[in-house]
Amino acid sequence: MKRLSLSPDALRVLAAYGAAVLLFVIGAFVHPGFASFGSITSILLVATFVGLVAAGQCFVVLVGGIDLSVPWVLNAAAILLATSSLGQDSRAAYAVVLTLGMGLVAGFANGVGVVWLGVPAVVMTLAMNGIIEGLALGLTGGMTCGACASYAPPVIAASVHDVWLGVPAALWLWLVVILIVSFVLGLTRFGRITYAIGNNPRAAYLAGINVSLTTVCLYGLSGLFSALAGILLVGFGGQASLGMGTPYLFQSIAAVVIGGVSILGGRGNYLGAAAGAVSLTALVSVLLALNMPDYGRSIIYGVVILALLLLYGRDQRE
Amino acid sequence: MPPEAAEPPRGRTRRPVLAHVVGQNIGLILAVAILSASIVIFAAMFVVQQDRLPGSFEITSTVNNTMPLALAAIGQTIVVLTRGIDLSVGGVIDLTNALAAIFLTGGVWHMAVVSVLIVLAGGVAGLINGLIVGFGRLQPIVVTLATLSILQGLAIRVLPTPGGSIPAGYTAFLVNTNAPTALCFLALAALGWMGFRRSRLGVDVFAIGNDEQAAIALGVKALRTKIIAYTIGGMLYAVAGLFLAASATGGDATTGDDYTLTSIVAVVLGGVNLFGGRGSAVGAICGAFITTMIVNILFFAHINPLYQSFYEGLFLVIAVVFGALIGRLVRGGR
Amino acid sequence: MSEAPVAPAEAAGVVGVRVVSKAFGGVHALRGASFAACAGEVHGLVGENGAGKSTLIKLLGGRLPPDTGSVMLDERAVRLSGTADAARHGIGTVFQELTLLPWMSVAENLLIGREPRSAIGLIRRGALAREAEAVLAGLGIHHIDPRALAAEVSLAERQIIEIARVIIRRPRILLLDEPTSSLAEREVEWLFARIRELRDQGTSIVFTSHRWNEITAIADRITIFRNGQEVGTFTTIDEAKAITLMTGRRVDALYPSLPPVPDGAPAALALAHGSLDGRTEFAFSLAAGEILGIGGLAGQGHRELFLGLFGAPALRRGRISVGGKPVRIANPADAIRAGFGIALVPEDRKTEGLLLSLPVRDNLSLPLLRRISRLGVIRGGAEMRMSREMISGLGIRTPTPMQPVGALSGGNQQKVLVGRWLLAESRILLLYDVTRGVDVATKHEICELMVRLAGEGKAILFYSSDTEELAHLCHRVLVLRGGRIAAELNRPELTAESIVAAAMRDAA
Repeated sequence: MKRLSLSPDALRVLAAYGAAVLLFVIGAFVHPGFASFGSITSILLVATFVGLVAAGQCFVVLVGGIDLSVPWVLNAAAILLATSSLGQDSRAAYAVVLTLGMGLVAGFANGVGVVWLGVPAVVMTLAMNGIIEGLALGLTGGMTCGACASYAPPVIAASVHDVWLGVPAALWLWLVVILIVSFVLGLTRFGRITYAIGNNPRAAYLAGINVSLTTVCLYGLSGLFSALAGILLVGFGGQASLGMGTPYLFQSIAAVVIGGVSILGGRGNYLGAAAGAVSLTALVSVLLALNMPDYGRSIIYGVVILALLLLYGRDQRE
Repeated sequence: MPPEAAEPPRGRTRRPVLAHVVGQNIGLILAVAILSASIVIFAAMFVVQQDRLPGSFEITSTVNNTMPLALAAIGQTIVVLTRGIDLSVGGVIDLTNALAAIFLTGGVWHMAVVSVLIVLAGGVAGLINGLIVGFGRLQPIVVTLATLSILQGLAIRVLPTPGGSIPAGYTAFLVNTNAPTALCFLALAALGWMGFRRSRLGVDVFAIGNDEQAAIALGVKALRTKIIAYTIGGMLYAVAGLFLAASATGGDATTGDDYTLTSIVAVVLGGVNLFGGRGSAVGAICGAFITTMIVNILFFAHINPLYQSFYEGLFLVIAVVFGALIGRLVRGGR
Repeated sequence: MSEAPVAPAEAAGVVGVRVVSKAFGGVHALRGASFAACAGEVHGLVGENGAGKSTLIKLLGGRLPPDTGSVMLDERAVRLSGTADAARHGIGTVFQELTLLPWMSVAENLLIGREPRSAIGLIRRGALAREAEAVLAGLGIHHIDPRALAAEVSLAERQIIEIARVIIRRPRILLLDEPTSSLAEREVEWLFARIRELRDQGTSIVFTSHRWNEITAIADRITIFRNGQEVGTFTTIDEAKAITLMTGRRVDALYPSLPPVPDGAPAALALAHGSLDGRTEFAFSLAAGEILGIGGLAGQGHRELFLGLFGAPALRRGRISVGGKPVRIANPADAIRAGFGIALVPEDRKTEGLLLSLPVRDNLSLPLLRRISRLGVIRGGAEMRMSREMISGLGIRTPTPMQPVGALSGGNQQKVLVGRWLLAESRILLLYDVTRGVDVATKHEICELMVRLAGEGKAILFYSSDTEELAHLCHRVLVLRGGRIAAELNRPELTAESIVAAAMRDAA
C-alpha cells in the first residue's frame, strides 16, 4: 500500500473538485467569459438542484441502497407546491410544509418497504416512483387542473433568484445544506451510525444499533431532499411541469458516484457528491459552450462516469 | 459459514418429486398463476362489456405489444441471474431501433444481413458492459447506468428525429397484425432458454449467481461467464429493438428508454430473484405479459389512464411482498 | 512402530509443499513449512487452530498461491492456477468452508461439470437426479434426496454431499479439511470406510481433524503443525505427546495465574430454563469476577448460546437475569442496556464485529455513541480521548486512532472489539473464541487481559476452540454437547483432558 498522507476517500473528493475546477478552466479557454463570476454563479445555481437531490441519494447510497423514486417525488413536490400555494405568499409556508411532508412520507414508505417488507431497494423505489407518478397525474388530471397553472409564490421565487452578496439565494441555501449534511454525516451520532450500517450492517446491529429505524429515516431524508429540490425548481422556473424530475435520477446517482461515494455503501461523503454535482453541471455547460449537441453530451456524460469509476479503482470489498 | 447445531439425519422420509418441482419453481408458478388470473379477469371484463370473448385481434395486439418487453426481460434475466443488473437495456433498444429505421431497406437478404448486424451491435454493447463489469470489478448498476447514457446519445446521433420507415414485409414477418404469429418467436425464445438452462454456460451463470466464490472453487470461469451473460443480454435487447421498430413501422431514438425499468419489473414479476442464482426466463416472459395485461385490465375497468402507473406500482409491491410470503410458506420456513 | 519422527522424504512424496510461507495482512499462517504425503496413505494433519493446516490444504488444493516456496507434485514444483487446475492434476479437495451452491439441487451440485448429456450436448435434467441417486447409492448414501436444494438439507448432509462430489471424481490426491466437523458418529464411520477404500486403491489422502480419536483411527502417518510450521511426522504417537508438540511444550506458567472468585460474589448473569432446541433445558449462573468456560466440540450450540444471551436472535426459551433482576433481551440493544450491560465479542470479527474500513476510533466508540453525544452531536474530544486511553490501556498497536481497523493485525483487531465493550462499561463479557487466529504473543496478552478483567469484577463467559486455554483460564467449564450442558468441570479436575473427554464421550 502506498504511503499517502490523504485517505483514498479524501483523494476522491479532491479529484471531484479538481475535475470541477478543470472544467471551468477549459470552459474559459473555449468560451471567453465562461469563468466570469456571473457565469460561475449561474452554473452553480443549476448545480444546486442536482446537488440537493444528490444529498438524499447520498444518504441512501451510504447504506448500500438506492432511490429510484427521485423523479416523481420531485415532480409531485413541484406540482403540490404550485397547487397548494396558488401562487400566494400567504399560503407559501403552508405549501412548503405540506410538500416537504409529502416527500418525507414517500421516503419513509420506501424505507418501510425495503426494511420491513423486505422488498429490494431497486424494486421498492421504482414502484414508489410509479405510485407517485400515478397519483400526481391522476389527481391533477394530467396537469389540467385549474390550480396546476399556478406560479410559484413570489417569496419562493425570490428565495431562489434573489441575490445576496452577489450570489443567488438558492446557492446560499445549498451552502447551508452542504454544511448541515456534512455536519450530520461527520460529527453526529446519526451520521456515524449511517456509515456503520453501510460498512457492515450485521456488526452495527451487534453493537446495539437500531439498523432498521435508521435505514427508514435515511430513505425518508432522500424523499425530503427530492421534495426540497422540487420546491426550488418551481421557484426557479416559475411553474411546475410534467417530466421535470426525470433528469435528476441519472444526475443524482452520477453526482454521488463521481463524488466518490461507494455504491455498495459505507464510504464517501456529501462534500464529494456536491463536487460531483458541480462538475457534472460544469461539464454540461462546457459542452454547451462548445455547441455540442444533446447526443454528444449524453455520450460524454457516460464516458466521464466510466472513466472516473475505473480511475477510482476496483471494488475493494471483495 | 457459522457452525450450526448438528441436526439428526432426516432419515428416508422424502418429499415427492412434485413437491420439489413446486418448491423450486415457486417464482415461476406464481408468475404463471398471476398471468392466468389476469387473463381470466381480462376476458371476463371483455365479455361483460363487449358480449364476446377476446378474439384474434385482441390477442394479436397484446402479443405484439409485449414482444419487445418479453425479449428485453429475457436478456435482463440472464444478467440478473449472475447477480448483476443491466440498466443499459433502454439504450441498446434505442440504438438498435434507430439503426433499424435507417438501414432496414431493400430486399429480403439485405434486411436479413442488416438485422444480424444490428443484433451483433447489441451484442457489442453488452460485451462492453460485461468487460467493464468483469475486468473492472465495478458495480453493474453504475457501469450500465453510464453505458445507458452513452447508448442513448449514440441513438440520437443515428436518428436525430423520429422517422425512417420499416418495409412492410419486415413488419409483417416479425409482427403479423392479423394473427399472433409472434408467439412462434416467443416459443423459440422459450426453447432457447431451455437449451441454455441445460448447457454448461447456463449452469455456470446459475452457479456464479448462487455464490461466486464457491463457483470459482468449483472451477467455473466467473469472468468469462459474466461477459457472455451481458453479451447475450445485449443481443436480446437488440432483437427487442427490431421488434419495436417493426411494430411501430419506424424508428425513434427514445422509444426504448422505458424498457430499462419495465424489464426489471417484468423480471421481478416473473419470480426471478434480483440477488441472482434463481429464476427462469419463462417467468420473465410471463412477467412481461402480466404488465401488459394489467394495462388492459385497467383500461376495461375504466380506470382513468392517468392513474395507470399508480396501480402498476402498487401491484408491483404487493406482488413482490406476497410472492416472498408464499415462497416462504411453500418451502416450509427453510 | 516408533515414535521417532519420520523424515518426510522417506517414501516418494506424491503431493506436498517445500518451505512455503503465506501471510494474510501481516499475520503469518505458514512460515517456511514443508510437508509430503505418499501414495496409498492417509496422512493426518493435526495442530491447533491457526497452526496453518487449512492454509496448507488451500495451497495444495490450488485455492491460494504460496507467497514463497513451492507446491510439490510427484517431486516436481508446480504452479496451480486454481482449483480447476488442481483437479486436472488429480487433486480433489473438500475445503473447510463448504462450497455448495445453495439454490441448486443436490444432484446439480454433486455432478456439476459432469452432468449426463444428450446427443447434442445438453444436460438431461431428468437423468441428472437419477444418476445422482445412483452415484450416492454407490457410495452407500441412501438418505439424501438428490432433488432437494442444497439449502434445504442439513449441515451434515451438505458435508457428505461435498465429500461425495470430490470422491466421485476419482482424485489420486484427496485433501479433506475438517470433513467431520458436523458429522455424527455413523457418518464418520461411513467416511472412514470410503477413505480406506480409496487408500487401498492407491489414493493419497490428507486429512485434518480436531478430534484426536479420528486421527488415530484413520491416519497411517501424522504430521503435527505448530505456528505455521511442521513439528514432525510420526507413524504412531500418543495423544499426550502429540498435544505437547501441538501446543509447543507450553507450561502452565504461560497462562497468567487465576485469582479465585471472591467468596459470595454475586451472580452477574443467570440463565434459567434455557433451551437452544426448544426441547432440552439447562441453567447456569455466572458470578462477578468469574471466568466461566464453555467447552465442547464445534457445532454443539455454543454459537447459538452466545448469540442467544445477546438477543441476536433471542434464545428459543430461557429466563435471563442480570444482577439478580430478570431482564428481557429481544435484541442486542436490550442486552447492552440490560443491568450491568452485556457485551459480545462475536465469532467472526471481520463479518460480525468490525467496521473494517472505518477508523479504530469509530470501532471503539460505536456502542457508547449515545453516552458521548450531546443532542446527537458526538463530543469529538471526549471520543478521541477515550479511544487513545483504550488504545494505550490495551496496547493496541496502531499508528493513530484514525487508522482503518482493517489494516491492523488480527490480534489488535480483537483487542479493539474487547476495548469497545470496556469503554461501554459492560460488566458481563461474552467472549466467543477471542484468541482464534491471533498470534501467540497477542494471544498471551488477551489471556492476561481476561484475568485482569475478572479480577476487576467483570463476569466473563468464554468459549474457545482451544481446549488448553479453557482449562487454564477458566474457574469452571461447562461442556456443551448436542445443545445441552453435558458436564460441569470445576477447578481440581479441570484439565484439557477432562474437557476433551467430556466433549467426546459419545463421539469417541
